[in-house]
Amino acid sequence: MTEHEWLALAAPYALDALDGEERAAFEAHLAQCAQCRAEVASFRETAARLAAVAPDVSPAPALRRRVLAVARRPRQLAWLAAAACLVLALGAAYGYWRERADRRGLEEVVALTRDSLATRDSLLNAVLAPNVGTANLAATGKPPTARLFWNPARRVVVIAVFDLPRAPSGRTYQLWAIATGKAPVSLGVFNPRPDGRLTAAMSVPADFVFQVTAVTEEPAGGSPQPTQTPFLIGEVRRSE
Amino acid sequence: MTPDHALVQRMAAGDERALGELYDRHGRAAYALACAIVGERADADEVVVDVFGQAWRAAAQFELSRGSVGSWLATIARTRALDLVRARGRRSRALEKAALLSESGVASPVATDDAPDRTAERAEARRLVTNALADLSPPQRRAIELAYFGGLSQSEIAAQLGKPLGTVKTRIRDGLAKLRTLLAGGGT
Repeated sequence: MTEHEWLALAAPYALDALDGEERAAFEAHLAQCAQCRAEVASFRETAARLAAVAPDVSPAPALRRRVLAVARRPRQLAWLAAAACLVLALGAAYGYWRERADRRGLEEVVALTRDSLATRDSLLNAVLAPNVGTANLAATGKPPTARLFWNPARRVVVIAVFDLPRAPSGRTYQLWAIATGKAPVSLGVFNPRPDGRLTAAMSVPADFVFQVTAVTEEPAGGSPQPTQTPFLIGEVRRSE
Repeated sequence: MTPDHALVQRMAAGDERALGELYDRHGRAAYALACAIVGERADADEVVVDVFGQAWRAAAQFELSRGSVGSWLATIARTRALDLVRARGRRSRALEKAALLSESGVASPVATDDAPDRTAERAEARRLVTNALADLSPPQRRAIELAYFGGLSQSEIAAQLGKPLGTVKTRIRDGLAKLRTLLAGGGT
């Protein structure tokens, strides 16, 4: 695709109207193209103004009280409560993914819960907070793929990897977080299970905000900076 | 008047009154948007509580450089409302109705039981966007409405309208570009 052809996808992307593969490809491109990112941001601002034409309706006065009650809840409690019941939690996670690839989302939830009992709850807690950022990491929309969930409040990311063969002997995979214009920061190393899957939690430095995430193959133990071109890359989407 | 983003900063510091003020300014717009998508008032209530709950929790992460507070809240409201109708196995209310705007591009009036200055502000915002939408071709307007209020992808819009995908892509791209130009410099 030429630069011009990529730019043409910014408008439908800002309206969340790109279909699966096209969106994955565009997101991979966005990770490397500041011009397209700016175009998307500008179109998102335009799209948000469409809200003004929704027919005017008066909310009930009681709604204000319900909204204010939110502030009286300790900030932590909301999502601890959400994780209290696994069934509810699965439903919430499923609903959270606004992806149209619903089947894939469900598979991921199942994969998450398949991990050991000890880590399951903390993974779910991290993933279920309302302001979690997500990124789809893909090469060209084909396997392997990975999905990343970033919980800024807990300073944790959870990565779920699919169809990725184990790294060769003496090698490992390394997950990077990249703030626009800055050097990549290592979040940790990982190696999938023999079935090509893995779900792992890694901590994020305090107050570190990043827009892009990528995976490279590195010597065992990891590298201070990537030594290879990432084979998986994705832009972090946050609803805020 | 305190700017919106200053309210968000106060919310990040735990100031509940700032949340109340933010709701007074933007609650009604969020509610209207939620109603246009979810249809049921009880569901719209839930969406609005959710929107301001998220704004409260994420206040510290808000960055003015990424857009206005109003568009931040509208984006959350749209996402939450579409999530809710999907979770219920339904479709956006906006898809069941022919169109939000009549073919002549006249928007429904703004109710006046809100504070007068806010009523005037909302009426002005609506007038600007309505006029801009009226300058698009009706097919462009429809495609953009289906995407924004209906939550449909381009291929879903093509199926809904019985038009080729390429046609829909052109309508979305050209329509939103034109809308951006029309709204540029037009205030908020």
